[in-house]
Amino acid sequence: MSATLRTPEVFILGGYQTDFSRNWTKERKHFAALMREGVLGALESTDVEPKDVQVAHVGNFAAELYCKQGHLGAFFVEVDPAFSGLPTARHEAACASGSVAILAAMAEIQAGWYDVACVVGIEQMKTVAAAEGGDYLGTAAWYEQEAKGIEFPFPKLFGKLGDEYDKRYGLKDEHLAGISAINYANAKLNPLAQTRTWYMNKAHACSRDDFNAAVGGRVKISDCSQVTDGSVAVLLAGRAYAEKYAARRGVKLESLPRITGWGHHTARLKFADKVAESKDAAYVLPHVRSTITDAWRRANLGGVTDVDGIETHDCFTTSEYMAIDHFGITSPGESWKAVEDGSLEIRGAHPINPSGGLIGAGHPVGATGVRQLLDSYKQVTGTAGDYQVEGAKTFQTLNIGGSGTTSVSFVVETP
Amino acid sequence: MMARNRTEENDVLASRRIDHAVVLGANGAMGYGSGALFTSAVPRVTFLARAKDKADQGLKVAVNAVRSSTVAHKVDTGDYGKDFDRAVANADLIFEALTEDFEVKRAMFERVDALRKPGSIVATVTSGLSIDALGRGRSESFRKHFLGLHFFNPPNVIVGTELVAGKDTDPGVVEFVDLYARKKLGRVMVRTADTPGFAGNRVGFKVLNEVAQLAEEHGPVLVDRLVGPYTGRALAPLATVDLVGWDIHRAIVDNIYKNAKDEAHATLAMPGYMIGLLEKGVLGTKSGGGFFKTENKVRLVLDPKTQGYRPVAEVKLPDLRFIDDVARLHRDGLYKEAMRAFVAAPGPWADIARKVVAGYVSYAFHRAGEVTKGIAGIDDIMGFGFNWAPPSVLVDTIGVRETIAMIEAAGLPVPANLAAAAKTGASRRLYTNPHGNIGRFFVAG
Repeated sequence: MSATLRTPEVFILGGYQTDFSRNWTKERKHFAALMREGVLGALESTDVEPKDVQVAHVGNFAAELYCKQGHLGAFFVEVDPAFSGLPTARHEAACASGSVAILAAMAEIQAGWYDVACVVGIEQMKTVAAAEGGDYLGTAAWYEQEAKGIEFPFPKLFGKLGDEYDKRYGLKDEHLAGISAINYANAKLNPLAQTRTWYMNKAHACSRDDFNAAVGGRVKISDCSQVTDGSVAVLLAGRAYAEKYAARRGVKLESLPRITGWGHHTARLKFADKVAESKDAAYVLPHVRSTITDAWRRANLGGVTDVDGIETHDCFTTSEYMAIDHFGITSPGESWKAVEDGSLEIRGAHPINPSGGLIGAGHPVGATGVRQLLDSYKQVTGTAGDYQVEGAKTFQTLNIGGSGTTSVSFVVETP
Repeated sequence: MMARNRTEENDVLASRRIDHAVVLGANGAMGYGSGALFTSAVPRVTFLARAKDKADQGLKVAVNAVRSSTVAHKVDTGDYGKDFDRAVANADLIFEALTEDFEVKRAMFERVDALRKPGSIVATVTSGLSIDALGRGRSESFRKHFLGLHFFNPPNVIVGTELVAGKDTDPGVVEFVDLYARKKLGRVMVRTADTPGFAGNRVGFKVLNEVAQLAEEHGPVLVDRLVGPYTGRALAPLATVDLVGWDIHRAIVDNIYKNAKDEAHATLAMPGYMIGLLEKGVLGTKSGGGFFKTENKVRLVLDPKTQGYRPVAEVKLPDLRFIDDVARLHRDGLYKEAMRAFVAAPGPWADIARKVVAGYVSYAFHRAGEVTKGIAGIDDIMGFGFNWAPPSVLVDTIGVRETIAMIEAAGLPVPANLAAAAKTGASRRLYTNPHGNIGRFFVAG
């Protein structure tokens, strides 16, 4: 792959996120309503006409299980009469489903097939009880070998990630609690975050009792992301439409953010195999590292000091702990230093998850990658409100499916 | 409210410190609930009650309510005797959550006035008593620092909060509390006038009481279905009254009925059958039942005429297919289509449902300018305090002209501000909250 290969630009026109605190089952809503609100919200907030959308991609993990519903691309068409006949498809890569849907839309825009794409990430998860939902999530691992018959398999797998760090470098749980506390604190600034009204502080994240029980080895409830209903839609465009769009809105083309870099790798499915592969490597999950560095290379960035903030995949505090050194904020194994010195906070040197991330903002599995892109858009356009990273021009995402299996990263920039 | 940038906001927040809060009445739901909320931002919180063990009990419930043992790390407890003076004298915020009784509160404020340090803020959680009247006879310093901070129950879950200044309250104090509650306690703040029931209870209990009046003729099951979640609320009206408590319901509607005269006065008169039952000890859920109760796993409903109970399952309902039709549209996210189907539904039962909904919209828009500056405040408190579709959301969803026609058809007065909105272009949305997902308010059932 050549670093100098120039691909056509992909612009982000904007998008919409539903309020992640909503419980659509309690509202007695069908999946179709969740799709509808996300898509209509995106069209309205960007002022793009339905007839202008040329293709739609839906990122979703497991609607067949949670909602007994497949063929999700067709639900996009249900949103507006103008969508009748539109090419659509659904994409799945566990928790990275939203990001692979974005990759598909980007590729089609760059290939010149279409000029305006809508990408929807969507998951309705509160349809089932916690244990059943936990079992469904186990299908993002090698179900028969890693999840079958295990209660809440994923916290246990990511507990093992913490154990691996502990073995290689040493790990104190208080640093994981610190990551949790930052994400919850940031979520309080985000009016769409699921946990914005929840009771949380560092002391609670450090506590270990009935209110904060262990669910997977060293992983406690406060170390976990949330079970969330949500949809997020973004509108992506090629240069020709973006020029027209900017002119119509009386803004300069340069003011529109674009996706300037991407990375995408898939590691072996089983966690033990990944760890065995990396035993002599500098990074615990080398393919995650490559995903990040590929995105930098394609965006012509030198490294983490060239990004103003990160929206990363904190499905558990251990995954963010891993992301910190994989992004190069610290040397491998020294992520704790960034937790301690305040670097990760919104006003720190390397803000991570100003939105609150998956722990604070919520984690509707298939929507998360799109939510990260939309939050990056908000940051680089100065529209993130109370969780704005001051002066942000460049943001990066990291979205991970499975136990560090499929990784996707995007760089979003305004010049 | 004055729009402020982040630097100005930080200046206001830095203008005073809340290092110690005292909660008076910490054994009650509003007391311990608010106390738990304060611990998320205030370093030290003192729970006071008539006896220390009552305050301890409040703390225990608070810990369970927010599901964190860390609440207790920041809380000390005590009684109104030996612990009172030192706690109140030291506090930066004194939060009163005693029983909703004017004289009880006034007597407590007299004690607080004598002890509080200058500059400390005194807030009452009253759900509708006059702030000016509660402050009467107090020192100038007290009145300057006294305001209403009306959380809704449970405060750690429901974020809508009313802020009520008296005529003597220092605007700087009001502004600080407003910002502090929004930024540090995660509240959705609504400033209201010092009018009976303020904004939320004035508008909300008008509807609840009207439904209770209708129940006398039609029965609780039918009216709760007619004005149920599909009309834009998380919980049906009479189920709500049971949860709130009939005694609280009476205190609120009696206060409004006595002290406010408006175009819907009659709908605020508590029905006689409720008063009779209340006097016999029927208080709703907390007394084991109200309109509804469960005995031997059988759900029973009150018959207001006989004052007896019978199984809900035995209640025969008329043809209510229009409700299923509306709910089905909500289910797929077709909220406008759903509410248009509601407006167009034929038959006497749909007429009753529309009369209540039209009455809600008409009453709310009539109150804009009286209980809040504009309709946005009423929208926020109904949305985030009651979990009901804000009046503007109903108008946007139904259409301005169609809403006016619905109000007229119900024989109710059309608010001038709504008539004006119809003239100035029907396409402009009335609901202005940028983060409000309007779909959340419409339950498909």
